Amino acid sequence: MQEDILSIKNQAVAQIMSAESASELEQIRIDYFGRSGKFTNLIKNIKNAPADNRKQIGQTINEAKESIEELLENQKKIFKESAREWFDPTIPGKMPAVGHIHLVTKTIEEISRIFGRIGFERARYPEVEWDYFAFETLNMPKDHPARDEWETFFVDAPENPKFGKMVLTPHTSSGQAREMLRVKNPPIRMINIAKCYRRQSDVTHVPVFHQFEGLVIDKGVSIVNLKGTLDYFAKAFYGKDRVTRLRPYHFQFTEPSFEIDISCGVCDGRGCKVCKGGWLELGGAGMVHPNVLKAGKVDPNIYSGFAFGWGVERVLMMKDGLNVPDLRMLYSTDLRYLTQF
Amino acid sequence: MDIKILDSWLRDFLETKATPAEISKYISLCGPSVERIEKINGDCVYDIEVTTNRVDSASVYGIAREASAILPRFGISAKLKPIRSESKEYSFTKSVPYLAAIVDSKLCPRFTAVLIENVQIAESPEIIKKGLEASGIRPINNIIDISNYVMLELGQPVHTFDYDKIMEGRMVLRESKRGEEIETLDGKKFKLPGGDIVIEDGGGRLIDLAGIMGGSLSKVEADTKNVLLFVQTYNPVKIRKTSMALAQRSMAATIFEKGTDTELVSQGVLKAIELFKTLTKGTVSKQILDIYPSPYKAMSAAINMDYIKERLGIDISKKDITSYLTSLKFDCKWVGDLLTIKIPSFRAKDIKGPEDILEEIARIYGYHNLPSLIMTGPIPVRSEDPKFNFELNVKNIISGFGGSEVYTLSLIPESDTDEKHLKLKNPLGPKTAALRTSLMPSLVNALKENIGTTDKFHLYEIANIYLPKTGDLPEERLILAGIFNGYDYRSAKGIVEGILERLNIAITFKTEESKGFGASKCAFIYSKGEVLGKIGVVEESGQIYYEFSMQKLLDFSPKVISFKPVPKYPAQIEDLTLFLPEKTRIGDVVSAILRGNQLIKTVKFKDVYHSSYTFRIAYQNKDKTLTDAEVKEIRDKIISSLKSKFGASVKG
Repeated sequence: MQEDILSIKNQAVAQIMSAESASELEQIRIDYFGRSGKFTNLIKNIKNAPADNRKQIGQTINEAKESIEELLENQKKIFKESAREWFDPTIPGKMPAVGHIHLVTKTIEEISRIFGRIGFERARYPEVEWDYFAFETLNMPKDHPARDEWETFFVDAPENPKFGKMVLTPHTSSGQAREMLRVKNPPIRMINIAKCYRRQSDVTHVPVFHQFEGLVIDKGVSIVNLKGTLDYFAKAFYGKDRVTRLRPYHFQFTEPSFEIDISCGVCDGRGCKVCKGGWLELGGAGMVHPNVLKAGKVDPNIYSGFAFGWGVERVLMMKDGLNVPDLRMLYSTDLRYLTQF
Repeated sequence: MDIKILDSWLRDFLETKATPAEISKYISLCGPSVERIEKINGDCVYDIEVTTNRVDSASVYGIAREASAILPRFGISAKLKPIRSESKEYSFTKSVPYLAAIVDSKLCPRFTAVLIENVQIAESPEIIKKGLEASGIRPINNIIDISNYVMLELGQPVHTFDYDKIMEGRMVLRESKRGEEIETLDGKKFKLPGGDIVIEDGGGRLIDLAGIMGGSLSKVEADTKNVLLFVQTYNPVKIRKTSMALAQRSMAATIFEKGTDTELVSQGVLKAIELFKTLTKGTVSKQILDIYPSPYKAMSAAINMDYIKERLGIDISKKDITSYLTSLKFDCKWVGDLLTIKIPSFRAKDIKGPEDILEEIARIYGYHNLPSLIMTGPIPVRSEDPKFNFELNVKNIISGFGGSEVYTLSLIPESDTDEKHLKLKNPLGPKTAALRTSLMPSLVNALKENIGTTDKFHLYEIANIYLPKTGDLPEERLILAGIFNGYDYRSAKGIVEGILERLNIAITFKTEESKGFGASKCAFIYSKGEVLGKIGVVEESGQIYYEFSMQKLLDFSPKVISFKPVPKYPAQIEDLTLFLPEKTRIGDVVSAILRGNQLIKTVKFKDVYHSSYTFRIAYQNKDKTLTDAEVKEIRDKIISSLKSKFGASVKG
């Protein structure tokens, strides 16, 4: 009888291991443990065994039964797992309408954040401006040849006896005197970002564009600080490997005045088609002219400062990898452009 | 202004071993900017940008002078060679036998002229032609070429008259009267605005538009025998006014309008005389007429050591300062910490105060040698204007709801606005002649541009409109506006409602007629009795458009949102379906339900099928759970009031 038990057990194990589905396993369970199953019959037959062997036979049957039941359960579990409900997580989703924020807005926000970190406060001054703020407070009296560089739009409106002609501001520098008059007491750290207008339109110019104007006024502000601030901006905006340099220039409203260049990111400053001898021109800057401080009612004997006014579009276009070929493209309203950003 | 000069010509005045690449690199760092070097026939041409304040360096000699101060700072020896001329042969006198001149010195601070007889007009030698061509000037004949050559070499414009065409050998240099006429030597005729500098001859004829272009009546031509060589300085403001008014922008005018050096005049005359002798074989009169009532007296300016150190942001020695300034031809004298410099005539126009001297010291020291440090002073303590963050927040919300931001031109054609608007005096063209008073036309155009590319989209913009004010700058009102394509009205309006929900502004809608919208197809959006904006269907294109005043949105959006306790007892929520007669405004029904009882917390319009409208109503009492009987009582009251107001009846 002991042999019968072991042979039935081995038979069961072999069948369980070769079963290919949960239902097959169920059939095996019935075959062995059902009402007239092989194990059930074994148990029924215990009473026919010699009395002194019955206890041991019973034990052997139980052990065999337990191990087969365990095996059945385990195999069933395996089948359950592989029999999970079919699901395709890669099926394309239903997207909601996806909106976009304009590149110029993103750039303006990035510029504001960078300067905000070093204490610059955002401002915005009129786009339609008096000649007085656009030129005269900037040390450019009437008929000054320097005014030629600003291709100015004039508004068809009566002149103001005090402030002169009405113009579309050609630069954010018009905000310099306005900021000084508003704040009254330095220190000033302003970042004025606004629309500007110039009578020009080509691959690198649009008649309506944006500038960001930095103005710092305090006691003891030096050229070293101007360099530090603009270098900080250039690294924050373009990457920490980029360096800037100052070249002498002339603006009526700053003295000394500079052009700021940044090392070319395409050739790492070695010189290439994109740049001029390894450098790209960022924009102008300078130490605020005493006459401009005076126009803003700030005493040039106590305070000094620096200012810069750069094109938002220009600094954006100079970002590596942007690859927008024509500045006018930035202002396209074509969704095939807008939705790229 | 940009000038082009030949390397070999530069080296006539500059003794240095520096290569063109070195010259170009180093002077750009400390002086005028060399934009480009171009190689031609074994020589090269520098293309240099000279700033408006440094007309003294807008010449071959001027660049050589700058280079001689800059190159030694980079360890390259450079010496400025003097201008050669046979000055001893000639005398400058107040009167000469060949010309009687009456000169208004306010218009012409220095007036020189000299007679050169029996000139032979011919082609100029190669060297002269090469120099002119490199600078972009076409060689014509020796006489005209001399004028241009001297102007390029020294930066002093020179003019020549056919002496025999000056009637009676007399000249009066005066201001023009309005309406006087002159023909310039390029054949153009001008009616003068008045106040222009002109020269009248003994015959009462205008023979020169001084400083801008000669007159055709006194023009040098192929048969000219005797030439009057003419070298002046003029009142720069007058030159600029005339040149701009007549749009006659000659190189002479662009130089004169920046204010030229009176001392340079004599060098210009002598250099021209030398060229006339060699190139035209003419006989030069020994006496040069020179009307120069107030000769240049060297001015001085002062600067303090503390100021230099503070503005430069570094320590620097007196010795170095002196050396930099001396190389630029300033004489230096220190008394204690105070430096006084004597200003040479060619820098008299641009060196005035300490800031100007500082620039000279700083640039020769080299900006590239200065350290970079952010300010260490106090950060201004002011609370930032909330509008900037608010604008970004609004943009984030709308883009989150699927809107794409556009930037459209604030300049529009006049035909796009029938409201009072500002227009430009000098627009680029009729399409950009006026300042917009609404964003609607711009957004309608932006939408049209995209029709066909995608069927469903939402464009929006935040930008100013410009509303004229009498005697003042216009009001620049910041507007949020958007337009939908392919959205049904409820979805579009839902987005607008969603924006206001995010801004925590409670709103109501009221039908109003408004310009640009179809009749009865516009609703004004109110909050606390004030209009914040509007939404509706554009009359012209049929699209849904909305706009808001950004200032109003900012004012009505709470800065701090007060916490309200979360209700302890659940709301009873039920759907109520009503039959409503045709042309019932559902917005009005919703507000009527909402206002019907305090215990009604929210009413949402769920859907519509034929004429049955389903509303989802939430009843809630903060102190207890409402019983079915209590809800029924409220519902019955509402239904009866809707019945009388709108003719509503309950389904089923």
